[in-house]
Amino acid sequence: MKKRGIGIGCTFYGTGYGNGFPDISTAFVEIHDDGSVLILTGAVDCGQGSTTVLTQIAAEELGIPTDMVTITCADTGCTPDSGTTAATRQTYTTGNAIRLACQKAKKTLLEWAAKELGTNTIEGLVIAEGKIMVKGHPQKSITFKEACAKARFAGNRLIGEASFTTHATQVNMEDGQGAPYWPYAFGTQIAEVEVDTETGKVEVLRIVAAQDVGKAINPQSVEGQIEGGVAQGLGWSLLEEVKLSSGNITNPAFSSYLIPTVLDMPEIETYIIESHEPTGPYGAKGVGEPAMLSAAPAILNAIHDAIGVRINDLPATPEKILEALQEKK
Amino acid sequence: MIGTKSFEAIVNGEQVKLNIPQNLRLIDVLRNYLGLTGTKEGCGEGECGACTVLVDGEPYNSCLLFALQVQNKNILTIEGLASYNNLHPLQESFLEHGAVQCGYCTPGMLLVAKALLDKNPNPTREEIKVAISGNLCRCTGYSKIVDAISAVAEKGVKR
Amino acid sequence: MTIGKSLPRYEGLGKVTGQAKFPADYYMPGMLYGKTLRTPLASAKILRLDTSKAESLRGVAKVVTAQDIPGENGHGVIFPDAPILVEDRVRSINDAIALVAAESEEIAEEALSLIKVEYEELPAVYDPREAMKEDSPLVWDKGNILYHLPIRKGDVEKGFREADVIVENKYSTQMVDHAFLQPEAALSYIDETGNLVLRVATQYVHWDRTEIARALNININQVRVVCATVGGAFGGREDMTLQLHCSLLTWLTKRPVKMVYSREESFKAHSKRHPIYMKYKTGCTKEGKLIALEAEFIGDAGAYSSWSPNILRKSAVHATGPYYVPNVKVDAYAVHTNNPFTGAMRGFGAAQPPIAYEAQMDLLAKELGLHPFTIRWRNAFEEGSETATGQILETSVGLKETLLATAKAYGWDVEKLY
Ligand code: FES
Ligand code: FES
Repeated sequence: MKKRGIGIGCTFYGTGYGNGFPDISTAFVEIHDDGSVLILTGAVDCGQGSTTVLTQIAAEELGIPTDMVTITCADTGCTPDSGTTAATRQTYTTGNAIRLACQKAKKTLLEWAAKELGTNTIEGLVIAEGKIMVKGHPQKSITFKEACAKARFAGNRLIGEASFTTHATQVNMEDGQGAPYWPYAFGTQIAEVEVDTETGKVEVLRIVAAQDVGKAINPQSVEGQIEGGVAQGLGWSLLEEVKLSSGNITNPAFSSYLIPTVLDMPEIETYIIESHEPTGPYGAKGVGEPAMLSAAPAILNAIHDAIGVRINDLPATPEKILEALQEKK
Repeated sequence: MIGTKSFEAIVNGEQVKLNIPQNLRLIDVLRNYLGLTGTKEGCGEGECGACTVLVDGEPYNSCLLFALQVQNKNILTIEGLASYNNLHPLQESFLEHGAVQCGYCTPGMLLVAKALLDKNPNPTREEIKVAISGNLCRCTGYSKIVDAISAVAEKGVKR
Repeated sequence: MTIGKSLPRYEGLGKVTGQAKFPADYYMPGMLYGKTLRTPLASAKILRLDTSKAESLRGVAKVVTAQDIPGENGHGVIFPDAPILVEDRVRSINDAIALVAAESEEIAEEALSLIKVEYEELPAVYDPREAMKEDSPLVWDKGNILYHLPIRKGDVEKGFREADVIVENKYSTQMVDHAFLQPEAALSYIDETGNLVLRVATQYVHWDRTEIARALNININQVRVVCATVGGAFGGREDMTLQLHCSLLTWLTKRPVKMVYSREESFKAHSKRHPIYMKYKTGCTKEGKLIALEAEFIGDAGAYSSWSPNILRKSAVHATGPYYVPNVKVDAYAVHTNNPFTGAMRGFGAAQPPIAYEAQMDLLAKELGLHPFTIRWRNAFEEGSETATGQILETSVGLKETLLATAKAYGWDVEKLY
C-alpha cells in the first residue's frame, strides 16, 4: 500500500568560523582610466556562485554596471587572503571586504570630482547612469569614465584595500556560554512523501523550502543553493552511506554509494525570506550550508506521518522501513 | 606491450587520424591527444555521465568506449556544440536559468539534452528527466537544469 | 542597481562551452604522473618498506617515502596530526605510504605494485562509543577523546520536574561523502624564478600554501597556489589530499607533476561527514513551551583531528534547534577511531542535531495533540531570543517568516495554528 505523509523541519545555522577565530577577508580594488574595475580577492568559488555575487557587490558600491567589473580570485600570486570558502562566509565576509575596499577607491575619485564640480563634500555627489552628479543639481556632472581618466592623470590612484572581520566570541569551556557565531541563518522546509509499505521505498513528492538569507544579492543563485541543498539533504536522509568494514570503505563508487539522480528529486518550491542583516553587505547573510539542513528532518517526519514509525538511524533505507513496519505490527 | 592502431573519426566536424594504443578509451583520445578537455571524467565507470559525448548523434559515456569502437564515426564534444560568439540555444538557456553551478556536469548535461531535443523537439518535463537521469549533478538539485532544457523545448528551437 | 538581480554566472561562458579549466585539464610538456600508495589496513605498524624495485623500473623518476620529506611530516586544519606519508604507524585507510612520479600513468601504476610493505596489524577501534571506554585500543597515546564541550544553562533537573511531557530517544547519523563530481586533481611545476606553483581545486589557496611551505621547509613566498575551476567541494576540499603529494614530487624532481584521483581514491582520500550518536531528552509544558533539554553527541572523528573540535562545538551550540529553551544541558564529544577521518561537510555539525531535535518536536506535539506547526511556532526564535549559549539574537531572525511561508504554501490555516 502507498501511504502519504507530510513533515516539517525547522533549522538554524551560525555562519562564519565562529568562536572568536580570526575570520577575516581582504580585498583590493583598482579603478582604471576608462572606469572599468579590477577586484582581487582570495575567495574561491567552488561552484556556489560567490564570484558572481562579489562582482554585484562591487558594481553596486561603485554605481557601475557589472560588465565594468573584472574579478580575479584565489591565486596566492596576486590575491590577498580571504579565508576559506566554508562556513557560509564568502558573501558576508568577503562581500563586506569588497564593499569597504570599493568605498576607499571611490572616495579618492569623488574627492577629485568634488573639486572639479565645485562641491564642498563628497556626500554631495552621487554616481548613477555612468555619471558623477551633484545631488539636487544633476545638470552639473561629469561622466564616470572621464572623471576616472582625469583623476588619474592628475596623479591620483583609484585604489582601495580593506579587510573585514566577522564578529564572534569564544564559548566558555566549562559551561559553553558565549556568543560563538554571527549572523545566524534560519530555514523551514516541508516535505510530502509517499511510502510504499510493501517495498519500503520512499518517494519525496514535494518540498517547499523557505530560507532567511538576509537579502538575496542574486535570487537565482540563492534558489540554486536551496535546490542543491534539498538534494543533498534528500540523499543524506534516504540514500547515502559510506559503508565500512574494519575501517575500509566498501562502496567507493557511484554504483554502490548512491547520490540523488534527477528521478529521485521532487519539484521544489523556494521562498526567499529577507530579514535584512544590518552587518551584512546590503543586508545579506549566507545561504550555502543552512539550505541543506531542513530537508532531512522534514523527510523523516513525513515518513513518520505516513506510516507511523520513526527511523531514527540514518539513512531511512527501504530495509529499515520494512523492519520498522514489521516491529510495529 | 599493447600495439598501436590507426584511428580515424570525425570529431566536431573535422577529420581526425591518429595512431593510438589499442586499449585507449575514447575519453583519453579526446582529452589527451586532441586537447578536448571539455569532456570530463567523474567516475570512469559509466556511472555519472560527465564524460558524455555524442556518437552519430547518440549520447555515450566516453569513459566506457575504446576509441577503436567509434572508428569512422561522427563524434560531437562540448567544444563542437558552439563557439564563444555563437552559443547553442541550450547553452544560452543554461546560463539564463542558472543551470550551471560548479559546471563539471554541464558538458555532459548539454550534450544529452541536445541529443534529446534533436530527436524529440518538444519533450515533456518527465521525458527530459528520463533523458538526463544517467547524468549526476551534485550541486544544483537538477531543477534549473530541467527548467533550462524545457525552456528551449518550448521555444521549439532546434539545431 | 545590481543587488537583487539574478545576473548570470560570471564564469558561466567558460562552463557551458567546455573551456573552463578544472585542474585535470592542465597539461605541461615533460610532465610526470604522480600516484599514491595507500594502506589496505586501518591500524598497523610498518615493519619494512622496500621501494628498490619500483625505483629501478624504467620510466620512474622518483619514489618518495616519509624520509624524503624536507619539512614537517604532518598536516591538518587545526592540529597537524595527519601524516603526509606514514613513517611507521598506520591509523586509517586514508594513510599514504609512498609516492611515485613516472613518465606515464601506466608506469606509475606498475611502480606502485612493485613497492613492498610489510605490516604488523595492530588492535583497532571502529566505534566512537567503544573508543571512549577505558580499555579501548588507543588510536593516539594521549587518549581517544579529542574534544568535549559542555553547555550548561539554567537547571535541567528542575526543568524536567516542571515539564508536563517528556520524550527521550536515541538517534544516529551515518558517515557520508561529499561526492563532488570532480575528483581531486592537481598540476605542479617550478616556475622561472625557481618557486613552486600548484594548480588545484581547493577551498582555500592561502591555507594550502602554508601547508606546502611547511612540508617542503621553504618560505611561504616560494609557493604559489592557483585555484583551478572547482568541481564542487562542500567541505571536502578543506583538508589536504594531493596538494602536498604533488608539490613534494615536483620539488624533489624539479619537474612538472600531474596527479588525478580516480573516484575510488577520491572516496579514500578526503574527509567525511561525522557519524554522530545522539541522545535526547526534551520536556515541555501543556501549552507546548519547551522547558528543558538534555542532549549528548558522540561524534566519530576518525583517525585525524581535521575540524572535529569545531564541528562538535557546532553540534552543541545548535542542540536546541531554533527554539528558546530555558534549561539546557549538552555534552558534545569528538572521539578518535580507526575509521576514515571526518571533517567539514556542508552543515558542519549543525546538520546532525536537527535529525534529533525535529523528531523530538514532533513527538512532543503528538503527545500534546498539537499541530507540528504550533509547537514550533510557540518556541521559535525571534529577535531578542536567547540561545543555549546565552547569546541574544539581536537582528535578522527570519525563522517565523520561513515557517509562515512554507505552511501557507501547503495551505495550512495558520491563523488557527498559532
Ligand atoms: S566518467 Fe564516464 S560515466 Fe562517469
Ligand atoms: S553543477 Fe556541479 S555537478 Fe552539476
